Amino acid sequence: MLRLLKIEWLKNFSYRPFKIFSILYFIILGGLLFIGLVDIQFGEFTLNLKDQGIYDFPALWNFTTYIVAILKIFLGCIIIFSITQEFTNRMFKQNIIDGLSRQEFVISKVFTIVIFSFVSTLIVMIISFILGFLYSKDTSFEMVFREFYFIGNYFLKLFTFFSLLLFLSVLFRNSIFVFLSIFILWMVESIIGGIEYAIRFRSIDGNTIKTIKDSILITNYTPLNAMSKLIPLPVERTELAKILGVKYEYNFPIDSVIACIIYSAIFIFGSYYILKKKDW
Amino acid sequence: MEKVLKVENLTKKFKRIVVNKISFEVEKGNVYGLLGPNGSGKSTTFGMLLSTINPTEGKWSWFGEDNTSISTLKKMGAIIEQPNFYPYLSAEKNLQIVAEIKEVSYNRIDEVLKIVGLLERKKDVFRTYSLGMKQRLAIASAMLNKPEVLILDEPTNGLDPEGIIQIREIINEIAKTGTTIIVASHLLDEIEKICSHVIVLKQGTALYSGLVDGMTANKGFFELESDDLEKLKYNLEQMQNFSKISIVGTKIIANIENDISATELNKKLMENGIFLSHLSKKKESLENQFLELVKN
Repeated sequence: MLRLLKIEWLKNFSYRPFKIFSILYFIILGGLLFIGLVDIQFGEFTLNLKDQGIYDFPALWNFTTYIVAILKIFLGCIIIFSITQEFTNRMFKQNIIDGLSRQEFVISKVFTIVIFSFVSTLIVMIISFILGFLYSKDTSFEMVFREFYFIGNYFLKLFTFFSLLLFLSVLFRNSIFVFLSIFILWMVESIIGGIEYAIRFRSIDGNTIKTIKDSILITNYTPLNAMSKLIPLPVERTELAKILGVKYEYNFPIDSVIACIIYSAIFIFGSYYILKKKDW
Repeated sequence: MEKVLKVENLTKKFKRIVVNKISFEVEKGNVYGLLGPNGSGKSTTFGMLLSTINPTEGKWSWFGEDNTSISTLKKMGAIIEQPNFYPYLSAEKNLQIVAEIKEVSYNRIDEVLKIVGLLERKKDVFRTYSLGMKQRLAIASAMLNKPEVLILDEPTNGLDPEGIIQIREIINEIAKTGTTIIVASHLLDEIEKICSHVIVLKQGTALYSGLVDGMTANKGFFELESDDLEKLKYNLEQMQNFSKISIVGTKIIANIENDISATELNKKLMENGIFLSHLSKKKESLENQFLELVKN
């Protein structure tokens, strides 16, 4: 295991896109978490996210993980570039000939993904703690840890997303195609989601919103949707929403967690299967 | 003799059959040439034997063990088609990765770089190397684990004459250490200079497998020149030693049927009043033998 980590380290450490994107990512990640401290101007209207309660426990976990999850594409780029270059430089083939098994190759890439997800999660967690203890109205133990599971969801969200990128990188072996396919997947999921929505709720009126909330949509379990359901958009939790009388209701998304774990497994074993079946 | 590799009926079908029921054996300590024109299935054969290509049919064993295991690969060194390294890493870092994969000590890195004359350039990024240097680094990499078998696919492809000579010398040095070498090339000159055994492929089929010298049952030929070619030809025809006598330009080429030495031939002709201005006994070059084999 240490050997595989060392190989990954040697491969990646001097790789320029790896360094650039890693540094960029961690700078922006750290910076973005402090976004609540600045006033955002929309013409006449001023939005201060801190005043909207994003640094209040327990909602803090929802807010911070939601905001920084957008940045995962930076780490995603590193993963895409570092895996596709193995194929464009014909290094996968050479690694195999030198005596690295296909299994070891996949495991070494999964290690990289785990490390990225873990480091990112750790940083978000530490900065969130600091911000929370500085600005939260309530710092009682119960409040601090009530929704701490968002940190776990954040890790799973990154891990599943990166597993998808691993799979696509192995499948297409070309970074442009991987980016395109992610975009297409996103579009397709949105479209079929919209279609399902339209069909299911066409004839419902009155308590529509309540019905929608209670319904199980099949398209909630498509890969990207399942990932995004792990950390929902926290608009309903802002002070503004409370003033407007929107009631916040959210339960732990156990179904999305299960879906994401299954997807990760499929992507990782799928990658291995492709590497095994294809001629190099 | 200890068998390093035994291949039986190895077949690969992509859309068409690329390798067709190839069988051969490789004995320890010899240098084998895998000969064949472009597209004759050399690289595919190597691919299967190195586990990068899944065979359609057939079996093989390395060191008596079926198929190609990870531990077998770690005992081997191979260069395929072109030198593959991480272009953004130095020679040293690249070899460190290979050393980690093959689980050998980093101490070997400087040793092998010295053998191929790249020790001074070890900190330079691979991308900046010339083709000859890249190829030499590939050989260094293949030797990192002191391999029992070395597989080289077109090791001199695209090199200048100096580079070709360098690579050939390195290969000869390695061969002297008793390493079994299998080298594929379409450069017959290469094979002739390096190999003791040869396997000839044509369109995926093995036409010949054995000693270079035994490739055709060819006893060679005489090249003769004299003032009166017709008279010379007539005299040669009387001698029963030749299977074919033909006039080519100002020379006569006489293919040997029953062997005769040049001295004896000269003596006989002199007795018949023929004085030669040129006489040489030649072996058919590997190139001609090869073309002969592949032609049919």
